[in-house]
Amino acid sequence: MSQQLAGKTAFVTGGSGGIGRAICARFAREGAEVVAADLHDPAELPDGVSFVDYDVTDETTVQRTFTALGERWPQLDVLVNAAGIEIEKTIEQTTLEEWNRIFAINVTGTFLTSKHALPLLRKSAGASVINFGSYDGYIADPGLAAYCATKGAVHALTRAMACDHGPEGIRVNAICPGYVNTPMLQSFFGNSGDIESLKQAVRDVHPLRTYGEPDDIANLVNWLASDEARYASGQLWVIDGGLSAQVQQMRL
Amino acid sequence: MKRLDDKSALVTGGRQGIGRAIVERFAAEGARVMTCGRGARPADLPQEILWETADVAERGDVDRLTDRVVAEFGELHILVNNAGVQLEKTIVETTDADWELLMGANAKGVFLVCRELIPVMAAGGSIVNIGSISATNADPGLALYNASKAFVQGLTRSIAVDHGPAIRCNAIAPGWIMTGMADAAFALARDPEAARRDALHRHPAGRFGQPADIAALAAWLASDEAAFATGQCYTLDGGLTAASPLNPGLF
Repeated sequence: MSQQLAGKTAFVTGGSGGIGRAICARFAREGAEVVAADLHDPAELPDGVSFVDYDVTDETTVQRTFTALGERWPQLDVLVNAAGIEIEKTIEQTTLEEWNRIFAINVTGTFLTSKHALPLLRKSAGASVINFGSYDGYIADPGLAAYCATKGAVHALTRAMACDHGPEGIRVNAICPGYVNTPMLQSFFGNSGDIESLKQAVRDVHPLRTYGEPDDIANLVNWLASDEARYASGQLWVIDGGLSAQVQQMRL
Repeated sequence: MKRLDDKSALVTGGRQGIGRAIVERFAAEGARVMTCGRGARPADLPQEILWETADVAERGDVDRLTDRVVAEFGELHILVNNAGVQLEKTIVETTDADWELLMGANAKGVFLVCRELIPVMAAGGSIVNIGSISATNADPGLALYNASKAFVQGLTRSIAVDHGPAIRCNAIAPGWIMTGMADAAFALARDPEAARRDALHRHPAGRFGQPADIAALAAWLASDEAAFATGQCYTLDGGLTAASPLNPGLF
């Protein structure tokens, strides 16, 4: 590997999840010191990654974590807000409790972690924050109403943070994945019907005739985290195999 | 192992500015690189870079360029449509000749080069088109330029949709990059230096872009690292378009 992140420190929320885990592994291979923060300690961590118990919705935990991190690291160079959940419901089916829960994780979690990471990010010579939006923040998937709304909020927050903290040397971008092969996608596919033909139909609608793997997303996160991307800020980086470049296909 | 080892690349408009930075970056990443421009080979172009004198707006020139690519490389892995012209005019001031010049390079040129080169591109190939932030947000006094970049970004999506999965196609939308084009745009202001200071304060990154910034993204998009990226227009502008143009802090 090219050691693009040698000497950098990185904090990844949702670090045990499908995409978060791939990001942690990639960062470590690129020479970064990595902390994966999540609710559940994964069975095994990639080499060079340490774990911290972390709930993005709990401000006390967040503050305590960054106080401790400040004693361990002189600065934080890369923050990835990858923690997120999906609720497969229309607004009619969504309870207020579920709505508040998904906003607490996807939006408030990004806010709280970023807010309390700022003092350490300011000490970096070139900090990069990468939030997780979604192509669903632009166009809706059916039955994902609250999820779509949270991702739209993350998009707007990303631009606001870039605008406010750019002059302090902190870049802020969001990655907006399309369909990526994760437990979340498998859950979206559900358990009923002919799963294999559904998966093939989903692949076929992509211009690249495939959905993504977590490593595809980690490749872009790694670029944005590195000094290669030193002029990139305030942008929403859709990576979706071309899905959203096309109008819905009617194959007659 | 460099990221573009064993890949061949054609970059149009590599004489100077962004195109030149991309040419040199691709070569540093291990690619075999050809570039072209309307005049003679630049004296300071590194020896290992191939040069073809060609105007992308001319059918015959593009045919010759294609023949040279096939002769030198066999098949092409990376195509960067960078050649472009900027005219600082509203449409009322724009002549028919201006239209031919600007749309010839920025729109017809991209069409001709893609039409001729896509058939000789290898599976897994990557096309990178240079758009602009002014494709979606108009810069004053650059009417045809703005519209031509909207064409480029629209065509980018069509190529991705029609020619995937064999070929990926993305655009980069640069903001204010310090090249001759930016100088020409600042020259339109009543007080170019004040305009420059004002513009700088509107960049969350605290600086204007350099050609190398764009080359860094072009290298990523050209590489296999970007295997799932297609049909997108990625803005690289130091945060300029993330912020509202109404900035009370400047009043």
